[in-house]
Amino acid sequence: MKNRIRVLRAEREMTQEELAELVGVTRNTIISLEKGKYYPSLKLAYRIADLFRVGIDDVFTYEREKDGPGMGEDE
Amino acid sequence: MKRITYILCILLTSALVAAMVGWSFAAGALLVPVIAIPLGILVILACREQVAEIISDERTVRIRSKAALKTIEVLLVLGVIGTVIFASYAYSAPLAPTVTGKMTINDDGTRSETLTLSQGGIPGMPEEVVRTLTIRDVDSMNETEARAYGLFWQEGLRLYEESAVIARTLFCCLGALLITFGAFYLHYAGKY
Repeated sequence: MKNRIRVLRAEREMTQEELAELVGVTRNTIISLEKGKYYPSLKLAYRIADLFRVGIDDVFTYEREKDGPGMGEDE
Repeated sequence: MKRITYILCILLTSALVAAMVGWSFAAGALLVPVIAIPLGILVILACREQVAEIISDERTVRIRSKAALKTIEVLLVLGVIGTVIFASYAYSAPLAPTVTGKMTINDDGTRSETLTLSQGGIPGMPEEVVRTLTIRDVDSMNETEARAYGLFWQEGLRLYEESAVIARTLFCCLGALLITFGAFYLHYAGKY
């Protein structure tokens, strides 16, 4: 799973701390999301997409057969 | 208030309440826990209200869930191994200590007894003598001999009895762990 959170955040000149506060998670979660170490729940994914006013597909891209299990996926 | 301050508050309040409850049982003041425990909960809730940053989110919940599950798995495996080791030591006959006694008639007509405690081992191998005790006149033991006799049994079988206690404790802990896990599993299986 790839995401464009860092890019979207940079376009809006938003810090990780600000984004975390707006979507109701800790800064560590945003860091993990940007690094691709953690896959968010659908609720959080929609919340992030809504905040950036884009579709969920514009933030998260699922790459078939490429990913190993990350945190948040079944191992 | 920062998250770390909040955690410190929880630890401090819990320790204080536990100390007060312990003291109240010792002093017989049974009203203290009735006041201290709800007061402690109120203090913790008040502190929680003061925390500005987010205490927990979905990632921390998921990390805790995974850590808890792994802890249960590891403890279960280690617990089973420990229980089997201690139980086999305590309950298997070849490993159990044996006590043998040899009675001798002395020249003056009194009877003396020599007790030997041996530790069992691998079947076929000679037993290892752990301790021996000789009572010169078994029919009229003096105080020192009686004490040594009591100590012989107490000390000689201590390791064996301790192993049995550890095995039983581990077994009960594992049982409690599995029952608690099962109860929560059924609860959440019904919920989701």
